Amino acid sequence: MNIIEVEDLWKKFKIPHERKNTVLDTIASTLSLFGGRRSTFEEFWALKNVTFDVAKGGSIGIIGENGSGKTTLLRIIARVMRPDQGRISVNGRIAPMLELGLGFHPELTVKENVVVFGTIMGLKREKLRKQIESIVEFAELKRFEDAPLNTLSSGMQMRLAFSVAVETDAEIILVDEALAVGDMEFQRKCLDRFKEFKKQGRTIVLVSHDMNLVTEFCDNALFLSRGEIVASGNTREVIKEYIRRVESQSVSLLTSDQATIA
Amino acid sequence: MVYMLTKLREGSMFEHRDVIWILVKKDFKIRYRHSALGFIWSLLNPLSTMTILTVVFSLLLKSGIQNFPIFLLTALLPWRFFSIGTMQATGSIAANPSLVKKIYLPRYVLVLTNNLASFISFLMEFTALLPIMMALGMTLTPHIILLPAVMIIEFLMVLGISLGLAALSVFYRDFYQIWEIVLQLGFFLSPIFYDPNIIPERYRFYYSLNPVTRIIESTREILLYNALPTAFDLATPLLIAVLLLAVGYTIFRRLEPRFAEET
Repeated sequence: MNIIEVEDLWKKFKIPHERKNTVLDTIASTLSLFGGRRSTFEEFWALKNVTFDVAKGGSIGIIGENGSGKTTLLRIIARVMRPDQGRISVNGRIAPMLELGLGFHPELTVKENVVVFGTIMGLKREKLRKQIESIVEFAELKRFEDAPLNTLSSGMQMRLAFSVAVETDAEIILVDEALAVGDMEFQRKCLDRFKEFKKQGRTIVLVSHDMNLVTEFCDNALFLSRGEIVASGNTREVIKEYIRRVESQSVSLLTSDQATIA
Repeated sequence: MVYMLTKLREGSMFEHRDVIWILVKKDFKIRYRHSALGFIWSLLNPLSTMTILTVVFSLLLKSGIQNFPIFLLTALLPWRFFSIGTMQATGSIAANPSLVKKIYLPRYVLVLTNNLASFISFLMEFTALLPIMMALGMTLTPHIILLPAVMIIEFLMVLGISLGLAALSVFYRDFYQIWEIVLQLGFFLSPIFYDPNIIPERYRFYYSLNPVTRIIESTREILLYNALPTAFDLATPLLIAVLLLAVGYTIFRRLEPRFAEET
């Protein structure tokens, strides 16, 4: 059994032409309904017929242009959104790193925030209590541990959040471009942590625009375009296809531009 | 085509007790972080309302109710918990988009923790104002052991209403304002500064449907009239509370799948 199995997944978003999100608006438009005006919306398929598996201990990179459905897919795996059709099974605990520093509050201290975010990420209280020192140390923020969070720079805050997140003991790690935090040296440290995850046999799902990162980390890749899988399989092959597409697209854009000018 | 919805493993409350506890603590710390005076303010508010209402009704209008300041406080404190608890919780989903969109926590946790923080504030206010009430002439009797039951019943009511309001206000952002108006009405429709016996007999039934009315009356029975609320006195509000919870939770579950798309 694969640790993540996604079969024929479809996800639809409704985009209303005029947004009604107050009771007053709704009453007003219901009244005008009698006058013949109907509220309309557009349907938009963010994911179409997406099927793939990830083996236990495997790592998969999801690539594609903006708006191709990468984040939606990640959110469905993280159980934050539900698909409209299809089947997904996840056989392990998930650590979603879709946003770092969830639940951070600027007025609480560094240590207090570690506990809040750590607990939200599913770390056990015992473990947090034992490891809080090493977390703060890994973030290189020992001096500030009792200072309120808002006295830290945003880079420092991200570093702190990252240091908490990597303490997870979940089998599956979902990452949405969260690796790009801190200066070069800290990034190096983070990459090392992720390599460790791989060695420990944990499963990694990575959404990124950084092709070098995807090549370095992922055995397999998935190329999404407008909600559909264009290519999947060996990372190098998929990235080659992606680059080929992007280049041919910009060429065709270029030629159509020239055509208009001419 | 395979058509099957993902099976969602709903975490139990026990499984999420750590998150619930930490979020309550966080909420509570933030409420009172700004100053050590933070808590004093939350005591001054009911005390000043009490003073104003006492001057207006007892001294100017001569309402003739015995022990009027205690009569007021025994109603104002539960009322404050009811109104603040439900109002604060109304935005608990809509105001936390990242906790809804970026991670899977059972969403009721956000409402529950908000309510719990309000509940603890309420208990602290009550404890702190108890000596004042006693100085004003209230005597404590063993009946007070029933007070926690009344408070828990009120908590369940607040939770039920909050679940419904929090879910609805994700889709209708003006629910907060609507609820504010309802609460304003509720203040006058609850026996806070008048004796409920002034309500004409034929309206009495409708009047007593107000969940807060029952809570206030039981609180007064225990603290002011030194009477033991009968089983019936407690069963009705409990029934209302269970009903509110059922309705609130149903609304919440129905709307929950779309929270991540709407926040």
